[in-house]
Order: sequence, then C-alpha cells, then structure tokens
Amino acid sequence: MSREQLIEDLKRQIVAQLNLQVQPESINADEPLFNEGLGLDSIDALELIVLMQQNYKIRLVNAEDGPKVFQSIGTMADFILENQAEQN
Amino acid sequence: MFITAASAISPQKSFRNADGFTAVPLTGGNRLLCSEPDYSSLIEPKLIRRMSRIIRMGVATAIDALQQAGVTDPSAIITGTAYGCLEDTGIFLKRMVENKEEMLTPTAFIQSTHNTVGAQIALMLKCNSYNNTYVHRALSFETALLDTMMLLKENGTSQVLVGAADELTDQSFIILERFGLFRKQPAGEGAAFFVAKASPDAAIAEVKGIRTLINPGTQQVEDAVKTLLQTHGLGADDVQLLLSGRTADTAMDQYYNVVEQTIGNEAAVIQFKALCGEYPTSTSFALWLACITMQGKTMPGMTDASHVRYAVIYNADKSGYHSIMLISKC
Repeated sequence: MSREQLIEDLKRQIVAQLNLQVQPESINADEPLFNEGLGLDSIDALELIVLMQQNYKIRLVNAEDGPKVFQSIGTMADFILENQAEQN
Repeated sequence: MFITAASAISPQKSFRNADGFTAVPLTGGNRLLCSEPDYSSLIEPKLIRRMSRIIRMGVATAIDALQQAGVTDPSAIITGTAYGCLEDTGIFLKRMVENKEEMLTPTAFIQSTHNTVGAQIALMLKCNSYNNTYVHRALSFETALLDTMMLLKENGTSQVLVGAADELTDQSFIILERFGLFRKQPAGEGAAFFVAKASPDAAIAEVKGIRTLINPGTQQVEDAVKTLLQTHGLGADDVQLLLSGRTADTAMDQYYNVVEQTIGNEAAVIQFKALCGEYPTSTSFALWLACITMQGKTMPGMTDASHVRYAVIYNADKSGYHSIMLISKC
C-alpha cells in the first residue's frame, strides 16, 4: 500500500472511530492531531493505539514514542509503514 | 420543594416548547422515539461526538432548565435512571465479544456507566458540588426527588438540578419486548430536568410530597393517597388533575381503578404514557406535564387548566414499584 493510500485510509478510520464532525478529506496529513489541530485528547490517544493494533497489527511498544508517532496522520502512516517493513 | 424551571425531551415536541405544546396521541407503533432538537447550539461539537442519545438528551434538558432558572452553578446535580447509558453499554459488550476481550477502546466503557449523564453535566458546568445518580427501577426519579427534598431541608438556600433520563436502543427494545413489556403499550424514552429550591419565589409548582411503595395491596395504595393528601390538609375533592400511568395493559388496572375512584371523581384524568410511552422514569415527563399545566397549558381531556391548583401523579409499574406525587400550583 502506498503512503498516500494509507493516509486516506487512516483519515476515514479516525473520523469514524472518534466520531469526528469533519470530512476525512478536509484533514491535512501534516495537521497536528492533538491540541490546536484536530483537538484530540488522551482518551482519543488510547483509541488511536487500539485502531493501529486492530487494523494494522502494529503495537506501540514504547509509550514514550506516542507523542512522535501520533503527531499527525502523516507520522502515523510513516510508523505503520516502517513497522510493516520490519515485520516482512 | 419548589420547581422554578422544567425542561423535557420526549416523543412529543416538548423541548423549549412549553408555550406551544400540543399533546397529541402518538402513532409510532409499539416503539416511540424522542423528538430531539438540534444540539449544536447547546453542546460543543468536541463534546457532542462522544455523547450517546441519552447523554445528549439529559445534558440538553439540564442546560435548558438551568438557563430558564438563570442558574449557572447548581449546588447539587441529582439524576435518576433505570437503564443507564444502554447504547454505550451495548457497544462495549459487543466489542468485548467480537475482540475476545482484547483491544477494547475506552470511550464506550467510560460513557456506559449509569452516572454518565450527571457527570457530563457537572463537567460542562465545571460543577464540583454534590452529584448523585439513583438507579431504582421505576422509582429512580422519585428517589432522586426525595434526595433533593432532603438536601433542600438541610440547606435551604441551595438550588438543585434534578432530573431523569432513559433511552431505548435497538437491543433493549428487542429484549424488553421479549419480556412482554410492550405488547399492549408502546415503549418510550425521554429526559426531563428541573431546578428545585426551598423557597417559593419565582416557582412554577411545588412538589408537596412523594410516597413510594413496593408490592403494595390496593388498600395500601388507597391509604397512601389519602394520607398524602391529609398530611397537606387536603381531601380527595381538592385535586383537579390526576396524571395516571395507566396504559392499555390491564395488569395494573386494580391499582389505577382504586386511585381514580379515590381522587378521580372531580379531577381530570390524563394518561401520560399515551404521550411518552412506557419507560421506568416516565414520571419525570408527568412532572413536566404537571408543571406546564400549572403554568396554564390545557391538556387534552381537560376543559381549562387555569382552575388546576393541585395535581397527583400516580404510577404503578409492573415490577411492583408504585409512586404517588402531590403537586401544587404556586
């Protein structure tokens, strides 16, 4: 799967899982997920961890990597692709 | 206990519509769903995305009641609910089964507890005061009211936000229907909140007293009604309106017959579940009806609301839980 396709999938999955009141296509891949960006909070962070595990079989082993991985949808996509490559 | 504001979301067009309210018998089959407002003007989008229907309905009616009363920081928030947040409970349990008890997301679990409605109201108001939720089947709302009365007796200056909410979901409807609950009466749902205080200024109605009974005989019900009236210096002829929980289901007719014979000769009788359906906290909708009647709104089956000085709400639930409330005009 290409990075662009993965980003589009993540946008749809995140909007559906978190019941966000925005259109997936209106989200910028580099937009911050937390605080001033989409305005997600710590409960959403847990939802994102489970989403990544359920849909892509990728576990976030080190909690301290969280802020970097979940900075934006783009960084999430990079983390997933990186880990999928290692698994293969 | 004096009521200064009342708000309800029900299968009727009741929300923010006390003046234009026209009670019409509903024809939604055996499942009545609430007529819900646009919540966007009441609840922030960031908060609303996590709220199920019961939370939205409860929060919206609470905010509306507080706005009517001009209260921003109530001294207590007291809620009654029998079923609690069923939609989120269903989502959480379904995921537990589907995911074999692994990788469970937090939101549905957090929102599934019975006290979520009261907690969400407190979070939105940043209210750290007394907050309690009562879960006592068909006496959940009545118990919340009794707690409010005791709290107001302890602290006469306080203003208490008290209400009830119950929702019907696809799953709960199927299960309850299987129990035979809705064979002769439509299932219902709703939320109603009130602002209560100890002093009569700016009040629209007074809840003078409440009696609750579990598995009583008909004589006990008759005695309880008479005692409640006598305690407040009233006789059966002083009541002009009886809000009766009677439905087409005849299982509890012996009780309703007794109450209607005791106080129904002079009083107009309104069967409130024909308007809101059957649900355990439906007496909160009946109290809202009593409040707007006290404000002059004439209900179907009544000739004139202006003469209503005293009203009685009586409900006999099939679980054996009975309640009697005496309401007076202010």
